[in-house]
Amino acid sequence: MSTAALSARGRAALGPAWAWLALAAAGWLLWFMLDARLARDLLDWLPYLASGFAMNILISVLAMSAGTLAGVTLGTMELSTSRLVRGPAVAYVQVFRNAPHLVLIFATTYIFPFEIVVAGNYLPFPDWLKAVLGLAIPASAYVAEIVRGAIQSVPTTQWDAAKGVGMSRGQTLRWIILPQCLRRALPPWMNLYASITMSTALASLVGVHELLHAATDASTAVRRDDFTIAIYLTVLAAFFLFCFPISRLTRRLERRFAPR
Amino acid sequence: MARTSSFRSCLSVVALASLGLVTGRAAQADATLDRIKGRQKLTVGIILSGAPFGYIDPQSRAEKGFNIDLARALAEKLGVKVELVTVTPPNRVQFLQQGKVDILIANMQFTEDRAKIMDHVQTPYDRAGGAALGRKDSGIKDWTDLKGKPVCISQGSNYAQPLADTYGAAVKGIPSQPESMLALQGGNCVVAVHVAPTIKLLLADRPNDWKDYAIVIPTELEPADSVIWLRKGERDTGAAFDTAVRELHASGAMLEMAKANRLVDPTFLEEARRTYAAPAKP
Amino acid sequence: MIDQAVRTFVALAGEVGLHYDFLLSASEVRPWIAGMGTTLLLVLLAIPLSLAAGVAFAAALTSGRPWLAGPVRAYVELTRNTPTLVQLMFAFFALNMLLSKALGGAANNPFTPFFWVVAVTGLHIAAFHAEALRGGIEAVPTAMVETAHAIGFSAFEILRYVTLPLALRTAMPAIVNNLVNLVKLTTIGSAIAVGEVTYASIMIWTQRDNVLELMIVILLFFGLINTVLSQIGRYVERRLAVPGYGV
Repeated sequence: MSTAALSARGRAALGPAWAWLALAAAGWLLWFMLDARLARDLLDWLPYLASGFAMNILISVLAMSAGTLAGVTLGTMELSTSRLVRGPAVAYVQVFRNAPHLVLIFATTYIFPFEIVVAGNYLPFPDWLKAVLGLAIPASAYVAEIVRGAIQSVPTTQWDAAKGVGMSRGQTLRWIILPQCLRRALPPWMNLYASITMSTALASLVGVHELLHAATDASTAVRRDDFTIAIYLTVLAAFFLFCFPISRLTRRLERRFAPR
Repeated sequence: MARTSSFRSCLSVVALASLGLVTGRAAQADATLDRIKGRQKLTVGIILSGAPFGYIDPQSRAEKGFNIDLARALAEKLGVKVELVTVTPPNRVQFLQQGKVDILIANMQFTEDRAKIMDHVQTPYDRAGGAALGRKDSGIKDWTDLKGKPVCISQGSNYAQPLADTYGAAVKGIPSQPESMLALQGGNCVVAVHVAPTIKLLLADRPNDWKDYAIVIPTELEPADSVIWLRKGERDTGAAFDTAVRELHASGAMLEMAKANRLVDPTFLEEARRTYAAPAKP
Repeated sequence: MIDQAVRTFVALAGEVGLHYDFLLSASEVRPWIAGMGTTLLLVLLAIPLSLAAGVAFAAALTSGRPWLAGPVRAYVELTRNTPTLVQLMFAFFALNMLLSKALGGAANNPFTPFFWVVAVTGLHIAAFHAEALRGGIEAVPTAMVETAHAIGFSAFEILRYVTLPLALRTAMPAIVNNLVNLVKLTTIGSAIAVGEVTYASIMIWTQRDNVLELMIVILLFFGLINTVLSQIGRYVERRLAVPGYGV
């Protein structure tokens, strides 16, 4: 099947859904337009909420960067022929893929100290950084699996073929294997990023000042039920507007890179 | 999919645990007073459970409330700057133990259990008990009526134990007070029990939203002194804060702060003012 | 006997600096053990819900009827792209309150926090099942569907006897993966006072200072559940395998 036909089917799949999503958004906006007091309160709080959401994005970007670095290392370790190298990596991936993100965030927040001593200097170790760590741990386990899968998906015969045309191992890796791995790994990696971003909301439960926490602060100050409901909807909308484009892009890449 | 045995999982958890042990228990707090003076900064754990104690002002995005004013006043007495750290009921004790905050001014009354793991400033800054907010038609008239009934509280609240052990209520710990209020309105508990002033002010400020609700039990649960908490064994620090709190009572500043923040019933503070303003008894 | 074993364990753990003293206090241990039971119960109820709803969503998505596929697709996109914790809080604090008001008072509202956790996590994961199954259904060769149609199968029969069984086989690894995520998701119940194991542990560590000790047990507990779940998944996968079809 050609790519064009496939993407046409993909668009068709979302076609009627756009109408429904637009309807939900319109209803949400209409509510604020009809209720001036609610709209004003929400506008007042918008900058505060935005600063909270910036924290979510910061946490997700840092957690994903750290998780990717560690995960690539772990993923290659998993493929090692040596039991001593492979064993710890496989065990790490197994334990932390099965561990709830919330529990890991609790663990890093409450177990690690609030400051670390490096060469006699006290360096602060703030909560949000602990949340980064709490999410980087499962992210690295997932990245390791993505990397392992991507490398394994390239048939070993390609190594032999490259050797046959006189390429070195390094050249083969750089020009033949890695480009294919990247293609396989990119869509699941982006899915993982979206999933980690959504998990950053869990950090509110340990007191990190992110969007959900800011929303609670706002509803505490205003103490009105309609406002509380509106603010939860706003939080949902913020995450949706951030994650939905990523997930659309991921699906487009998936279709483009799909083996034909 | 799972390829390792659970035994191997065990091993790596133990590895993680030992890592946690080394780093976690290595954080040793030095003498708090020296550190406050050294850094020229007092770090106070405050709780944003709503007016009058603590909330965020939307315009300035700054914390406001009685707890915050008290924190600022104490820092001023010590001649240092103040740093506010927002804590929640489930994490406040951890934050203090870890040394992330120097003291806690976080709606925490004196209880024997808390006194086992923390020290406190001897002179209380307020006195408060738990009020039970419920529907007027709930039929709850006394604390004993709560036996077997679901009751919403904040996670880590000191009302959990008396409610469960003394009155046999089914206690539901919710992360924060506004959410507990929503759970009450959703019918997930018959009453919500929180520090009385926050509930009284809520009813006074939002009579329409809460017209079906009232403080259904006339007495307060475990009325106790609200005290400032600090890490175990820090007597010097405690003494320094004790002097400061007494002075705030004596000068009337404490009462002023309470009134400015609309503390509904400042009887205790009026009495405290008289007690501490009077020359020390022999 | 058990009592003695617990005592020995607490003493041994104490030797290496782990404080499991709470195990000796019956009033603390009982809700904690009950918490493990609650987690298992949550998992046992949410898994069938997610599977049933996932199949229904997948059927709607591939039905070719816009009025059916549209709302389901919108739901799938919404739930996949927003945090489950916020969904749960919105459902429990906002929807539940509105429901109570609509039903004329909280007394008429039959929905407990436990219900909301099962519903929100189950339906959230159902969206992921639906996507996996949809992929599988669309991968079934068109010729096979046309043949079934030609010999007189109705649209429902084609789904029931042809496309779904085949889709299930290709989607199985993804579904098991989703179920592992479902097990992990149940921990967010702690945010609305469902007495599952995380909540029970929070209740203990806010009174004592033994986070690390409880974390080790929680991680082991979830490791165990998910290992068992993965094993069952692999067993089902092997049983379902059709020689020559799929991977």
